[in-house]
Amino acid sequence: MLTGDAQKFYGLLFGIAFSTLLITQQMTIFVNLVQRGASGVYNAPEAEVWVMDPVSRTTDVSYAMPPTALDKVRSVKGVEWAVPHLRAQATVRTREGDLEGVAVIGVDDATLIGLPERMAKGDKSVLFAPDAVAVDDTGALNFFPSEIDPVGERLELNDQRAVIRGVADAIPSFTSTVVLYTRYSNALNFVPGTRNRLSFVLVGVSEGQTPSDVAARIERETGLKARTRDEFAQAGVNFIIENTGIPTNFGITVFLGFVVGVAIVGLTFSLFIRDNIKQFGALKAIGVTNGKIITMVGAQAGLVGLIGYALGVIGTVLFISAFSSNPFFKGFYIPWQIPLISFVAVVIILAITGLIAIRSVLKTEPASVFR
Amino acid sequence: MALLPRNLSFSRQILPIIAVVGVIMAAWFIIGKLPNRDTVEPAEQPPKAVGALANAPRVAGAGIVEPASEVIDIGSALSGLVTDVRVKPGDRVAQGEVLFTVDARAARASLTQAAAAISEARAAISEAMAAERTARQQLDLYRSLTDPAAVSRAEVIRAEGEEAAATSRLGLARARLAATQAAAAAARTEIERLTVRAPIAGEILAVNIRPGEFVATQGGGNTQPFIQMGDTDPLHVRIDIDENEAARVKLGAPAVVSPRGAAELHVNAAFVRAEPQVVPKRSLTNSAAERVDVRVVQLIYALPESDDFRVGQQVDAFIPAKDAPADTEG
Repeated sequence: MLTGDAQKFYGLLFGIAFSTLLITQQMTIFVNLVQRGASGVYNAPEAEVWVMDPVSRTTDVSYAMPPTALDKVRSVKGVEWAVPHLRAQATVRTREGDLEGVAVIGVDDATLIGLPERMAKGDKSVLFAPDAVAVDDTGALNFFPSEIDPVGERLELNDQRAVIRGVADAIPSFTSTVVLYTRYSNALNFVPGTRNRLSFVLVGVSEGQTPSDVAARIERETGLKARTRDEFAQAGVNFIIENTGIPTNFGITVFLGFVVGVAIVGLTFSLFIRDNIKQFGALKAIGVTNGKIITMVGAQAGLVGLIGYALGVIGTVLFISAFSSNPFFKGFYIPWQIPLISFVAVVIILAITGLIAIRSVLKTEPASVFR
Repeated sequence: MALLPRNLSFSRQILPIIAVVGVIMAAWFIIGKLPNRDTVEPAEQPPKAVGALANAPRVAGAGIVEPASEVIDIGSALSGLVTDVRVKPGDRVAQGEVLFTVDARAARASLTQAAAAISEARAAISEAMAAERTARQQLDLYRSLTDPAAVSRAEVIRAEGEEAAATSRLGLARARLAATQAAAAAARTEIERLTVRAPIAGEILAVNIRPGEFVATQGGGNTQPFIQMGDTDPLHVRIDIDENEAARVKLGAPAVVSPRGAAELHVNAAFVRAEPQVVPKRSLTNSAAERVDVRVVQLIYALPESDDFRVGQQVDAFIPAKDAPADTEG
């Protein structure tokens, strides 16, 4: 049996566990990293449809619209509500005089639609105070050392005073820029003026209407571009995939994981089979069919594969949970599809290596026992 | 120890069990940690079309509450120091009620002066009348004499001249009285002009002057109006509609209006009129420094009696639209 030889058994286990870990963990980080491109969409949990200028592409690559676009969208049937949403870049001067680029997000004045769902510190209503901004939690760490409480700190934005009154529990953006949330009317003052300021209109859909129907109707009636939440999140992800080398990098690593798995497992498997070739011959001599032998080897490979796969997945889970407090890994999760993909990868590795190794056994004649 | 089989092997029994348990725990962890990407309902209600409008063609617009008379910036006819302000914000005033008075001492002095001049003129009149009477009696006396030798011809001519002079002096004195009376009337008008009164019945919206301050007649620029008032019964709301949408509005239909920040209130406002002129959009969407190239049609609606609206407040409005035959779908 395979477990009889501890060295080879643990070698196989290690090979499978290692490639599972590599594939699962790298794919997890990849998926989470590119999903950062959609963080702006997920940070505004109320919006079901995003309306923007036809040339806008993602939450961060947008072109402003005239302010009456809001009223145009509100006029469309199936739109339950629509609120203005401003996203712009600004430079901020901290109390120490440092200059830092920030993203200013202006949420609706009355309802604060567009804020992340939860606040890490303070309440959403703090934004009603004059000159109030809320900073996102990862951005706060970029801005202030962790021992300083950002709440109450004063900033200077476009010659205006801004006071941090709360910390939002937000998904960090891809670039980890500091994000300042404030009310729309404040944001207009904080961001240097251009003629049109309204970046997005966030839309809620009436009961009985689907977001995609309403988005299509908005596009037809207003001439603006409307995307459902999922479409727009996907657009953000696609933008990252198209404009960075991340997919190539992670693709190479995942491929390497696969290759390493094939190499280690294949080598160990072949050694194991070659060492036991006499036993297989003996089995054949007493009348065991090739099919039985394949089942035997397959069962053992399955056991090894299962244990190795389990160890790899446990390793990934431990890795992700160990780093979950690190701001870079904030909000990272393991999509359920990824363990399934790595399971398929393990099955393929075992199938390829097992078939290659077992070929010699199938060709062995029972007489080889006596050689 | 009887529970455990004798030949317990780590790699054959324990490891697979650990593996299965580990996979189950990992699955539990993975499923438990999946992020919630569901949309949530807004905590506070944003403005929305309700009732019949929710499923009917509609046009949305932002507006501002104003008095039915629009805001009247009260001016002053004459410049000077404010001596008394008789109203405070929120007061309801009748037409013609005094709002504030401007220092009238100079005007009063000229009125006194004019009064003195009137008495003087009156005295001059009585004096002239006395002189005329004397001259006329003298002349009558000379004329009644039948004996032409009793008085010389020269004496008669002198008496005639004196009578004519006295008559014209009386006329002069009367004219002077009229002039001084006119001057007094002018001074009284001046005093009246220094008292600023309400042009219409309405509510005082703002008072920006206090006694002792100087009011100048040259207003304009960015000087604050002295007093703002308007007829706030009913309140009107001026709604801006994008010119591209304007053609769709069903003129005459009532609008559903919600004040900013209280979107759960839905008030039906009656149509009053549409402004004949299309104007550049003014700051209605929050920023005072808004610069836009959008032009808007302004529609005026009357709000019902309500404590929820104040002059200058921003509102969101939904107005029924004409049925668009092109868009039959949905």
